[in-house]
Amino acid sequence: MLKKLLTLLVFALFSSVGLYAQVTVSGTVIDAETGETVPGVNILIVELQRGAASDSDGNYEIRNIDAGTYTVRATFVGYNTFTGTLQVGSQDVDYDISLEANIVGLDELVVSGYSVVSKRELTGSISSVSASDIENVSLQNTQSLLQGRAAGVTVTATSGNPGAAFRVNIRGNGSINAATEPLYIVDGVQIATEQTSNLTSTTPLNAINPNDIESIEVLKDAAAAAIYGSQAAAGVVIITTKKGVRGQTRVNANIERGVRSLARTVDYISSEEYVQFLGEGRAFDNGASLDQDISAFVDNRRAFLLGFFGSDPNGDGTTLANTNWQDFIFEDGVTERYNLSLSGGNERTTYFLSSGYEDTEGTAFNTDFTRLNLRTNIDHKINDKFTASVKVNVSNSTQFGVCQDGNFINCPPSQAMFEAPMSFPFLADGNYNNNTRFGLANNPAVVRDEVDRNVDITQVLSTVDLLYLVNDWLSVKGSASVDYRNTQDEQFRSAIAAPGQSGWVSFVNRNVQNVQGNLVANARKTFDDVHNVTGLVGTEYRRVYSEFAATRGEGFSVPFFSVLSSTATPASATGNNSEWRIASYFTNLKYDYDGKYFLSFTGRYDGSSRFGSGNRWAFFPSISGAWRVSEESFFNFSFVDDFKIRAGYGTTGNSAIGNFAARNLYGNVGSYDGLNGITPTQLANENLSWEEAQEINVGFDYELFASKIFGSIDIYRKDNKDLLFGRPLPSDSGFDEITENIGSVRNEGIEIEINSRNVTTSDFSWTSRFNVAFVRNEILELPEGNDIDANDQFEALIIGKQIGLIQVPEWAGVNPADGRPMWYDANGEITYTPGAEDNVEWNDGIANTVGGFGNTLNYKGFSLDAFFQFSLGQWAFASSDYYFTRTPDFLMNLNTEVRDRWRLPGDVTYFPRAMSGGNAYPETDNYRTEEGTQSIYNASYIRLKNVSLSYNLPTSLLDGLGIRNVRLYASAINMVTWTAWPWYDPEVAFDPTDIFTNVTSASYPTERQVYGGIDISF
Amino acid sequence: MNKAKYIKYVFVAFLVTGMWGCTSMLEETEPATSVSSEVALNSADAINAIRASMYSTIRASFDLTTENLIGPDALADGMVNRPGSTRFQVLNAANGVSGTVHIGSFGGSYDVLLDANILIDGIPDDVPEFDQATRDQYRGEALAIRAWIMHGLSREFGYEPANTGISGSTFDLSAINRNFPTLDLTDAEPLARSTVTEIYNQMLTDLAEAKTLLAANGSSENKFITEAFVDGMLARVHLYAGNWSDASTAAQNAIDNSGLSLVSTAAGIASMFRGANPEAIWELDVNPNTEAIAGSNINNGLAAYTSDQWVAQIPTQKVIDAYTAGDYRVAGWHGDCIEEQSVGATANGCSTVNSLGVSITKWNGWKGNLADDITYMRVAEMYLIKAEADAKAANNPNAGVAALQALKTARNAGTVPAGALVSITAFEDEILLERMRELTAEGHRFWDLKRLGRDIPSVSGVGIKIRRDSFRILAPFGVNAQNVNPLLVENPGYEVAGN
Repeated sequence: MLKKLLTLLVFALFSSVGLYAQVTVSGTVIDAETGETVPGVNILIVELQRGAASDSDGNYEIRNIDAGTYTVRATFVGYNTFTGTLQVGSQDVDYDISLEANIVGLDELVVSGYSVVSKRELTGSISSVSASDIENVSLQNTQSLLQGRAAGVTVTATSGNPGAAFRVNIRGNGSINAATEPLYIVDGVQIATEQTSNLTSTTPLNAINPNDIESIEVLKDAAAAAIYGSQAAAGVVIITTKKGVRGQTRVNANIERGVRSLARTVDYISSEEYVQFLGEGRAFDNGASLDQDISAFVDNRRAFLLGFFGSDPNGDGTTLANTNWQDFIFEDGVTERYNLSLSGGNERTTYFLSSGYEDTEGTAFNTDFTRLNLRTNIDHKINDKFTASVKVNVSNSTQFGVCQDGNFINCPPSQAMFEAPMSFPFLADGNYNNNTRFGLANNPAVVRDEVDRNVDITQVLSTVDLLYLVNDWLSVKGSASVDYRNTQDEQFRSAIAAPGQSGWVSFVNRNVQNVQGNLVANARKTFDDVHNVTGLVGTEYRRVYSEFAATRGEGFSVPFFSVLSSTATPASATGNNSEWRIASYFTNLKYDYDGKYFLSFTGRYDGSSRFGSGNRWAFFPSISGAWRVSEESFFNFSFVDDFKIRAGYGTTGNSAIGNFAARNLYGNVGSYDGLNGITPTQLANENLSWEEAQEINVGFDYELFASKIFGSIDIYRKDNKDLLFGRPLPSDSGFDEITENIGSVRNEGIEIEINSRNVTTSDFSWTSRFNVAFVRNEILELPEGNDIDANDQFEALIIGKQIGLIQVPEWAGVNPADGRPMWYDANGEITYTPGAEDNVEWNDGIANTVGGFGNTLNYKGFSLDAFFQFSLGQWAFASSDYYFTRTPDFLMNLNTEVRDRWRLPGDVTYFPRAMSGGNAYPETDNYRTEEGTQSIYNASYIRLKNVSLSYNLPTSLLDGLGIRNVRLYASAINMVTWTAWPWYDPEVAFDPTDIFTNVTSASYPTERQVYGGIDISF
Repeated sequence: MNKAKYIKYVFVAFLVTGMWGCTSMLEETEPATSVSSEVALNSADAINAIRASMYSTIRASFDLTTENLIGPDALADGMVNRPGSTRFQVLNAANGVSGTVHIGSFGGSYDVLLDANILIDGIPDDVPEFDQATRDQYRGEALAIRAWIMHGLSREFGYEPANTGISGSTFDLSAINRNFPTLDLTDAEPLARSTVTEIYNQMLTDLAEAKTLLAANGSSENKFITEAFVDGMLARVHLYAGNWSDASTAAQNAIDNSGLSLVSTAAGIASMFRGANPEAIWELDVNPNTEAIAGSNINNGLAAYTSDQWVAQIPTQKVIDAYTAGDYRVAGWHGDCIEEQSVGATANGCSTVNSLGVSITKWNGWKGNLADDITYMRVAEMYLIKAEADAKAANNPNAGVAALQALKTARNAGTVPAGALVSITAFEDEILLERMRELTAEGHRFWDLKRLGRDIPSVSGVGIKIRRDSFRILAPFGVNAQNVNPLLVENPGYEVAGN
């Protein structure tokens, strides 16, 4: 019927014009994603105001066109408007049109675990980030793509080094001693996190090239995540890579280059200011006042410093050096990235082939990151019944293993604080200065030139699927996957860097074999046109085996070599392995009535080798439903296109504890006289089981004003129970604790997502997106009702309080009379020696308001995208900065905060009076070590995370060159940060498993990155 | 439904349920470096390994090594922090009126007892290939180690029999007497503290049995517990208990049974700690490459604290001043504080602490990697115990001269000064000085002052830092230990209000 109508329409159009010596324009309209032809598309030659509609095979034809250049526009519901340039000469023209699906809003498809559904059908809470959200973003790491883009997912850089790990926290801290990291699944492969390098911050997700990513879905609530059972309590992140698109082979090449520098620096005082500071301190020590002449004290300290550090190697012997160590340790780095992908196929076989290479030099000396990726994704339809697909990703990455995250005397980030301006790296003759703060071996120049730390990771991620279509409503899919990772950590120190051993080299080889197989039956059937029933049942088995072997040799008698074979002494050899297994059955049954009422049940039955023999298997069910109110006849708000209410309740588990935590163990610990020792290391708890999260989620999905505004709102409460805790035992028993299922934590919050298409015209479009999540955390239950480390300033666990609570005495300012630091005691009186009893609750390390917002503007070929990300409410203690750069106790760098110091009675200042050392004030606690509210800083920030400007060359320039598209762009990461945090970086998380996130310690600072690049597709 | 379809569904159902019964697939995982208690306690090899762990745990514990040997000098007046270093500074700065910092070895000590108690009472009767002589030897060693550990705990947390009630109170609680193995959760129940008398009785009973067992089957190597060490421990325990004649007898037995004599040359004294110590009755063996103190010698080792890396605690002027001219121990056991460092650090400023600008080099990483074998008992200490005990048993300073002079002669330290012989107290003063000269950085100073009921002098040598009757003489257990153990009574003065 439609076809006849169309033909008639076309005929009518054609017959209305005369027959001249003109040419015909014809072609086929296809869906760019699937390669399917699209019927019913309106094609218009704008200048002539003449057009046609595509027929049922997607073909169209417009006759009798004069020679010239025209603009062609094609429109169809559900697709972005196509605009192209048409050149007409004396010959007929073949002009194919490819339409990009306009999949935003509730028609977007999401991967929900073992199946794909449209957002309209969802009953659980899932956030998703698609390729279109991130195509203009230059990022190294998959996890960082989620930062600020998925509501309720808090992503924090644990370190700024290239290739570093992120802490990804979904809906708050739900565990204290088991893992709080989500389960990562890449193309169906559950990624193993065992045996990562211990030389620096790194993550297994470095194996994925962000350019290959099609979408990232985050399963947030129990209804969505319960399908992953005992591994899902901390949420699930599903990463799906691109598939081949049927049709002509598309080649896409991308080259980008960029520079990186420290996003923020910290200011320290100069040598001269240092001398003055110490001189003032000495004057006070001697009872002098600063309105007297204190030059004798200053001279005394100058002489002392000259003796301690030596004189400036480039001076006349009487002056101190004034080295900017921050500049010595950090300098601008560069990044180059190359990506090449091929996509195409026919009706039976489609393929996506991709290769990527990245070479980055970081800002801290020696730091780098390289990655080579090769990906092959192939789908092949064997016959009507069987379809096979294979996805293989092979990657090799190398990182310089920059040491950090602690007050280490030989790690670059801490050395930037530990070396005072008076010390200097090299003597006048070019030799190393052996009088830096921690001697020759720890001279930053020696650390730079005489130490090597290399991490080399090879990873294979591969999945093979076979899909069997039993009939038109039932299919069975079997999958086998492997995640194999080899990590090699190599450390070398020359005889200069390790004089005690005349140099040494160590080599650690780590392997993880993570294999997994599953079998899933999927059914979908509709009865009476309105009863839609969908279901899947499946079974899965996973085994993770990890091992390492480490060797170390000492003594390089010949300085040219740096391998084990050239060491004099084989100093040590160690190795170990571990294993865990999990077996599962799962199901998801769904019913909906006429796309109006939805009901879903999910259950997973998991057995894990980690748990006690008395408690090996458990069941994790969830139930959820949704009601599309907007489909009801009584609902007649014309501006509402779609409105859906969702509600779900379910349980998930957290099984990420020690592999053998339930057993009675005698472990190999230490050795004596050549014999290895064994000692009881763990008492048995045969009832040990998983932690369980019970979560209720209520959500709304909306689409308003002809799909111009759409988004969702979720409200949840998640109670994590049976938390694994070491119940403390009297330590005179020889055991500190036994692991038991005790304790409970609650997280509750609200997540809001709003997206809008503000302007959409043929030339100009403007879209916006915004999301924010609020979270609240509370400890409900602890072992035997006792708070744990109740007086601890940063790691106290107190019933009724949040994890990450900070407790310090309240700062009372600097005494204007004598310049001493003051605090308040428990009674609100001034004290100079506060104790634990004077602590007040002072904020916490939880970023309780996190989100992002962005705008994309398109005008003709130009596209401007700015994305901001914010994190509010987190407070933290910058331990290294505070302990080492605020007083001259250790004669290290001094922060410029000391400039605002007390000098004379009556001065009202931020910093106390100068001191010779932290203990110099009479009867007053050491200002360096006495934390108070003055030492805790607000780590909230808003950051211009990504900004990019791109330009697509007009197709008129490219026609005839065989080039489909050329895009030129400039982009930047971490361009601007607004924060009150005075130290390097307000993203505070020690490592991916940090739950307190309120202390940071000499971490590699975050880098600002600016790129220019070109995308070419053929 | 036709037959073909039916078969299809059966096939699918079979595939999906194909893994029922795979619990066995979950049970086959085994840890690579642990075994179950059933295996560990029924294999001679595993029992050998438990014994190795007992010694290894001592070495790996910071409490029982660096803190045990350096702490008592830092908490008293023997060693003090070098300017620019902070390690043990809090012990130097401890005072008698406030604070909680002390020398504590609670956790480390009971970790060792865990192994010792298994060797004493946890081994089944019929372990294949585990002969009676070996069983007796291990039991003897474990009993002696238990006594050594209990002696350490008893002096940290309680008074000695001789000075109980020193502050006028009748407080007589000591350590927790954990004298049975923890084999399962029920063994880990809280225990109350025992009295000083009960703890001393337990130590003497253990040592008596150990002496019998080791006399028959003990090792002859001083890296293990020997009969001579048991004698030495008896001497120490009797000395602390004020059983003077028993202390003297035991000290003499230790000297005789060890077969060791005092080193008496300058070169011999200088090299005493640099290889196998010729005076060591018990010297814990350390593999410098694999057996670090608390995981890292460069951070936590004896050398790192005394003469290398941090050079954190160096001898006070009082120690340097205690030596007379020509004493072999000055040059033998001290060195220029910068030159003695191996790791390229330039810790300086020692000359602002003592006039020689020296550090103590007994522990200087002589085995490499900042590691040393750890000497816990030397024959010289036995001479000092004997001297003190003989004088006090006879209530006559002259009775102690022979043993004291033997040591002084070996050290080229002159004769016992006449002033030391005017009274028992004067002789005790001289003994305390000689113990300082001989045993600094070997873990005695604070305990000697405490057991004799002396005030703890300040580091500067002027004034007192902790009075003899201060609550700060005893170490606190702390809030966490009390939270876990409701039966645990905190030492007086450390109780926390409320709770």
